Amino acid sequence: MAPGTASLRTRGRRAGSQSLWLEALGNLRRNPSAIAGMLVIGLLILVALAAPLVATHDPILSMIGQPGETGRLQAKAPCIPLLGCEGTLHYMGLDLNARDLYSRVIFGTRTSLSVGVITISLSIVTGTLLGLVAGYAGGRTEDVIMRLMDVVMAFPALLLAISIVTILGPGLTNALLGITITFIPQYARLMRASVLSLKEQEFVTAEQAVGAGPLRIIFAHILPNAVTPIIVQGTLGIGTAILDAAALSFLGLGAQPPTPEWGQILSESRNYVFTSPHLVFFPGIAIMITVLGFNLLGDGMRDALDPRLNRN
Amino acid sequence: MIQFILRRLLFSIPVLFGILVLTFGLARAIPGDPCRAILGERATDQICEEFERRNGLDQPLPVQFLVYLRNVAQGDLGDSFRFRRPVSELLVERMPTTMELGFSAMLFAIVVGVPLGVFSARRHKSALDVGTMVGANMGVSMPVFWLGLMLAYIFGVIFRDTPLALPPSGRLTPGASPAPWYEVWGLVAEGADGNAFQVFLSRFYLLNAVLTLNGGLLIDALRHLILPAVAVGTIPLAIIARMTRSSLLEVLNQDYVRTARAKGLGERLVVLRHALNNALLPVVTVIGLNFGLVISGAVLTETIFGLTGVGRTLVDSITSRDYSLVQGFTVIIAFGFVLLNLAVDTLYGWLDPRIRLGQGG
Repeated sequence: MAPGTASLRTRGRRAGSQSLWLEALGNLRRNPSAIAGMLVIGLLILVALAAPLVATHDPILSMIGQPGETGRLQAKAPCIPLLGCEGTLHYMGLDLNARDLYSRVIFGTRTSLSVGVITISLSIVTGTLLGLVAGYAGGRTEDVIMRLMDVVMAFPALLLAISIVTILGPGLTNALLGITITFIPQYARLMRASVLSLKEQEFVTAEQAVGAGPLRIIFAHILPNAVTPIIVQGTLGIGTAILDAAALSFLGLGAQPPTPEWGQILSESRNYVFTSPHLVFFPGIAIMITVLGFNLLGDGMRDALDPRLNRN
Repeated sequence: MIQFILRRLLFSIPVLFGILVLTFGLARAIPGDPCRAILGERATDQICEEFERRNGLDQPLPVQFLVYLRNVAQGDLGDSFRFRRPVSELLVERMPTTMELGFSAMLFAIVVGVPLGVFSARRHKSALDVGTMVGANMGVSMPVFWLGLMLAYIFGVIFRDTPLALPPSGRLTPGASPAPWYEVWGLVAEGADGNAFQVFLSRFYLLNAVLTLNGGLLIDALRHLILPAVAVGTIPLAIIARMTRSSLLEVLNQDYVRTARAKGLGERLVVLRHALNNALLPVVTVIGLNFGLVISGAVLTETIFGLTGVGRTLVDSITSRDYSLVQGFTVIIAFGFVLLNLAVDTLYGWLDPRIRLGQGG
């Protein structure tokens, strides 16, 4: 192959993909749902990074015996001196162990965001690889992989995660693993479908004709062209993964006390909802805002990046 | 049509088999010695040997799997360690509560979600449309257990002394012990137990109230079902409303709808007679997918609302490491899930001849 052809081809691809991405970014910037989602997520990332500055107290320190604290402290209602409350500032009140709930919710942002991003990244990597192998290899390999994915998908996701964590033992790491497994099939299916349709296209056949190996074809040609739906699906998945992790913690299978995690805070205080509703209200709102952020961004990305998935 | 259903049934056999392999594998993946994991401190070497022999754990794995298959086929899911009773008996008693919850949640989601989506689409970009979609976005982002707790607080505490008050806990008012229908009908002597099927039916409290013509009981059972059903149904409702809206918007742009309008049909007729039929097809699929959400919702909310269903039993068994119960319940729920999806597929094929003829013809 003449050196000129190769460089022309590379340049062509770069210019093409660059303008595609720019166009996508432009679409994204005009999409109100995507903007709202990015704002929410950006704010949450800031809060997570600057948690020690944003929080007013140590999230695992009991206020009993602390200066300025008086009266019964367990599950004390929110107290904001500016609004006429006498006592120390506690935006969201104190929890059952007299810890500052606001600070616990703020630090909980770290746990939930990392859980969402880690589970989805792990399942995207695993699912994508499985889908690539299945789609490219075909035959027996494909059958085995895809039937396995069918079985995993045959379980309601949360139920499978519960079974896995029951076996492995409760804890945040095992909960992460359980959730990751339930998410793998959707990425494997997406990837396999993309590979199957791309494999037959002319630019791939052309690569094969000039002698490119399977690895080069997969990573240089198929993967970049199949990545958009995965990104969209992944963004929507982060929200779901955060909800699942909170649910597992709520059942006592995820984060263990005293780790400040939203689902875990809800689990601790659920029997006190009739007497101290603030303990339940705030962590739930935090979960909702976070999940909403990822859902809005995901919806916006779907509309902006992938016209094939556009449902509106 | 029959061919289509048979094909689908055939396709689900490997999946059902896979479910059995996976649950069997999971149960064998318990770290360490299952005997000590289950019996805890009471386990001595002698007790464990006896335990392994009794449960067939001393056999090779393939043999254990075959024995497991045979047992499941015979409806034997093992004994619950915590309840000291067969898992299948517990399922028969507790599944109806969950099914009642699931179906009423789904009913709520469809009955409210579809009209909301239709209104939204007909008044595209109006305040109602935007409001519905904002609400739907919030609905899909809420943790179901949080919504359950907040509903219990709002209707159990804030509205306590108003007509809006609803019982936040239990399946019936405490102290109520309704006579099972098979007793009222004189099928068994008073105080005697019915067979599994009779017991199963009697645990559907709404059905039992109807069969025994007990109006007070029916209202009581309904009132106790409202809050959990709304909690579990809200996420599916939001998804269904969004799907109905976007699918109807798409259909309303199609040529045949323009033709219908051009020939002078009223907007109402165009939407209800022409567009909605086709717009609801994808909604049927979404309804099928939502059964998974409903099952998860039941697992998460039954504890909150004090319902003794499959979900609560499962959750309680996790902490007491009642492995055979968790395994048995998981298998049956997964089976039910596969069959429900099969039913939805069939419904879809029946509604849309293109699918039936394309794949099954």
